[in-house]
Amino acid sequence: MLTLRLPHPGTLVALAIVSLVAGGFIALAGFDGGTPALLSIGPYLGQVLAFSITQALLSTLLSIALGIGLALALARRRFPGRDIVLAILGTTMVMPTIVAVFAVFAVYGRSGWLAELLAFLGWKGGFSIFGYPGILIAHVFLNGPFVARITLDGLNQVPAEHWRLATAFGFTPFQIFRHLDWPVLRGEMPGIAGLIFLMCFKSFAIVLALGGGPSRSTLEVAIFEALKIDLDFGRVAWLALIQLAICLSMTTLLHWAFTRPPVGHTIRNLVHRPDAKNKGLKILDAVVLLVSALFIAPLAFSVLTGFRSILAVIDADLLRAFLTSLTIATAAAVLACALAFALASAARRQRLVLRSPRIASFYDLLPDALLAVPPFALTAGLFLLIQRFGDPSRAGLILLPLINGLAAVPFAYRYVAPHLLTTEERYGRVAASLGLTGWSKLAIMDWPVLKRPLAAGFVLAMALSFGDFGIIALFGGTELVTLPYLLYERLGAYRLDEASSIGLVIVLFAVLLAHASGRLSHAGD
Amino acid sequence: MLVIENCRLTWPDFTADYSLTVETGNLCAVIGPSGGGKTTLLHMIAGFERPESGALTFNGQDLLPLEPAKRPAAIVFQDHNLFPHLSAAQNVALGLRPSLRLTRDEQSLAAEALDSVGLKGFDERRPGEMSGGQRQRVALARALVSGRPLILLDEPFSSLDPALRRDMILLVDEMRRRRPVTILMTIHTPEDAADMADQMAFVADGRVVASGRPTDILGSALAPRIAAAVSDS
Repeated sequence: MLTLRLPHPGTLVALAIVSLVAGGFIALAGFDGGTPALLSIGPYLGQVLAFSITQALLSTLLSIALGIGLALALARRRFPGRDIVLAILGTTMVMPTIVAVFAVFAVYGRSGWLAELLAFLGWKGGFSIFGYPGILIAHVFLNGPFVARITLDGLNQVPAEHWRLATAFGFTPFQIFRHLDWPVLRGEMPGIAGLIFLMCFKSFAIVLALGGGPSRSTLEVAIFEALKIDLDFGRVAWLALIQLAICLSMTTLLHWAFTRPPVGHTIRNLVHRPDAKNKGLKILDAVVLLVSALFIAPLAFSVLTGFRSILAVIDADLLRAFLTSLTIATAAAVLACALAFALASAARRQRLVLRSPRIASFYDLLPDALLAVPPFALTAGLFLLIQRFGDPSRAGLILLPLINGLAAVPFAYRYVAPHLLTTEERYGRVAASLGLTGWSKLAIMDWPVLKRPLAAGFVLAMALSFGDFGIIALFGGTELVTLPYLLYERLGAYRLDEASSIGLVIVLFAVLLAHASGRLSHAGD
Repeated sequence: MLVIENCRLTWPDFTADYSLTVETGNLCAVIGPSGGGKTTLLHMIAGFERPESGALTFNGQDLLPLEPAKRPAAIVFQDHNLFPHLSAAQNVALGLRPSLRLTRDEQSLAAEALDSVGLKGFDERRPGEMSGGQRQRVALARALVSGRPLILLDEPFSSLDPALRRDMILLVDEMRRRRPVTILMTIHTPEDAADMADQMAFVADGRVVASGRPTDILGSALAPRIAAAVSDS
């Protein structure tokens, strides 16, 4: 008997994603009689690659150094306002890159706070933030606090018994570092460092705005320029392929190495650390906290100056941009959650019902692999595809939510997948014996457990998409303006006052969403 | 002799006030309901908790002003006694020298200690490669090798199954025959150590409600409360 079975929706989604990406690339590579030889772009490519890797390495090293120092200092010290510091460290994770660019201009720019301070002190020289200084400052500002937050959570996982043993044995500060802190750092750093390297390697907005010249481009920026300025699809295809190869090998590596469960908000650190009394460490921690405060606080607070002129910038343009951003973010979040849910339930079926963990881990890997796909190249390929079938002037409206949605899938997946697995482990057999399948299983077994994490993932996806300054750089113009694009325009015109207000609106909204996401994901615990 | 006199500790939701005497060389089993203050009693003797008032002496030495590292006590917890990145031998060696820079003699001392808890040849094993019972044996070896005359065992075998638990308690008994030590051990069920212990203390609501020979305590009017505490946990 021939039975026709519909494939699992997750399988269809996985197929759709893979063919979408592949189709985009084929369209790119096949455009207009093929691609130029790799050799013809060789020297340029070498330069771009060298810069991409160097800046990413430096950014990672500095972020890790700042993050570890800060985490250890915060673990050892209690002071008034410590909780506020932890909250601020948490917000830089959702700080949109374009707002970080604004912050760097506002603090270190030609007429920024530092320049004003130096002028006030009578220093006449000038300095430029373009190139390495600006890029590194922005990257470390965004990633250093992230490292600190994750590391601190890791340090708080050290069992209280180990601290009591350290006290009972009379460990010196060095022995405490060696036996309690170092094992945590050694376990977590490779994964975190890899992740930060990846994010900095494919950095776009920061390098575009602060690079200051074609010789200082990441691959992502080079792809953008090949598209926007030269319309050289062949070069885009080559650059994208190399970017994809490097990032995909990085993400695959990370996927296996970085298996730490998602960051919890454990502030369980009630155990008294015996090394807090050491004089040398007191001085060290004071220096670390002071340097971090001097580095992070001005950048974090620069956007608050936007309050001054916030009423002046609210006009029809801003409201329209806000609504556009909101619409795109909502559509992207819907897409991200739907894809993440379909993939996660396919992974669960493979792992627990069909007992094939290999296929399951393919589904687990797919969302992370999306992080490796260069958005501009994918956009260009899909643009070429859409052009054949419909009105290209509308392409932006389809592509923005699509690309942003795909970019948010890994984050939504992390919220959804673990809960789906747990419910199946707990209630899967009961559901099977009751004959619950399909929609009724979803409604009765999964939905009650899933709605909070799904909502949390949805809101986080919105926050990420809302502040994103990526492919809008291609489509932005009089027709289509998002808030981050508006901010980019104002920055380009050196209208810092307006930029600060727009940045403030973006940050407030993104932080609000991220906060809601955090509340949603923890309220059920 | 370990003498605890009216040691008071207060928290917003809990008050403890301990008085207890244990003869040198005795094994005192501490029993009582969970949340009744058994662990706090041991932590106080070890120096992790400081009483606001009262007196705590061991063989005439005042323990209260001493930092935990300077007290004559070694402690074994229910879990997390070993550092996962160190080998069994290194974990034992921490009891001799936290710097792990051991002399030849100290090295053989650590190896002997492992041998004496039945773990000969386990020197290079990591905690992750050992069973729960083996890990607790390593912790016991460390307490043994530290040379401290007072050993505090905080539910050291509660996570082991009954047969294994019995083996471990026999090991503790053997340990104190080899070296004169005073032992305080919190236990879940009287059967675990009633025949081995010289003394039993019933702790509830932050107080030592009764203390004496195990047979006396178990045969007293407290028996129903002890039974209730055991079935409760």
